[in-house]
Amino acid sequence: MSGEIFATLKVLIIGESGVGKSSILLRYTDDDFDHDQNLTIGVDFKTKVVDIDDGKVKLAIWDTAGQERFRTLTPSFYRDAQGAILVYDTSNKNTLVKLESWLNELEIYNTKPNMVKMVVGNKIDKPEREVSRDDGIRFARKHRTLFLETSAKTSEGVKQAFEELVRKIIETEGLCEPSTLYNRGLDLNNEDDGHQSTCSC
Amino acid sequence: MSAEMEDFLKDTVNPKDLEKFEKNYRRELEANNVSHSTQFEYAFCLVRSQYARDIQAGILLLEDLMTRHADGKRDYIYYLAIGNTRIKNYTDAAKYCKAFLQIEPNNTQVLGLETYIKKKVDQESMKGMAVAGGAALVIGGIVGLGIALAKNKKNNNQ
Repeated sequence: MSGEIFATLKVLIIGESGVGKSSILLRYTDDDFDHDQNLTIGVDFKTKVVDIDDGKVKLAIWDTAGQERFRTLTPSFYRDAQGAILVYDTSNKNTLVKLESWLNELEIYNTKPNMVKMVVGNKIDKPEREVSRDDGIRFARKHRTLFLETSAKTSEGVKQAFEELVRKIIETEGLCEPSTLYNRGLDLNNEDDGHQSTCSC
Repeated sequence: MSAEMEDFLKDTVNPKDLEKFEKNYRRELEANNVSHSTQFEYAFCLVRSQYARDIQAGILLLEDLMTRHADGKRDYIYYLAIGNTRIKNYTDAAKYCKAFLQIEPNNTQVLGLETYIKKKVDQESMKGMAVAGGAALVIGGIVGLGIALAKNKKNNNQ
């Protein structure tokens, strides 16, 4: 049935403090940018309903604090996530290097082994680059993740990042479990309407 | 917006995490040397518990941290607001939001929470009014019945 929400997907945004995680989310959900974005306390949470093919998917996005003092606490939120966006700052090489340990943490604490990961190089509007696009691609390839460059400030690549992630999650077998289904309103007898359901659940 | 906040507040700590951070805290407590980070980690889990008793314990730990670790105040005030909201103690929750916003007036996390609290308080006062209104109807009904009965009696007497 068109227009029905057929799944809720849990997505994480992680990475070092100040790389623009909350700014990417604000751009995506509110199409806004705050020059003085406050440091996230613990975790922030936003939802967004996205059109996908003939249906809708609800994204539950957990935006985690990058600050050291929350480092032990944020992994509690990794559980059951179907997707993760790992953000670094293209003007700060160290933030890409540090993504290694964020990826390790994801491996340890996430409960879905086939979770979809995407590495995102943010702040490409800044003229001072420390990480080339090729370096970013190489890093992503090495860790078998999706890759995109974005600017939360100009909005370049932001929408695309979430859309690609969602599409990949839906295409990944076994990621969409019945528990993530919104059963109410879903007409199970109406599956052969010419459009194959993209979600195997 | 408020459905979003509702989802956020409904999310509870995983019991395993709570247990893990509780152990750390107890260990340091026995050694009589609780670091503020260990206390905060435990309190963070407690205020996200599904049990009011845990949340209240978390609130006490955060209040204690407020007095002994000024650097973390921003985080402590925020989680005091979250904890109080989760046990529907909206008066204190609103107080902590207000205190926070005096320092960071544009913080969207706290502004969102404050809006949610205001809405909840409004809803509850509406409910209260509905109850009072219902009571008025009942009393009105009784009085009406009394009048009807009295009239009836009068008619019978005639």
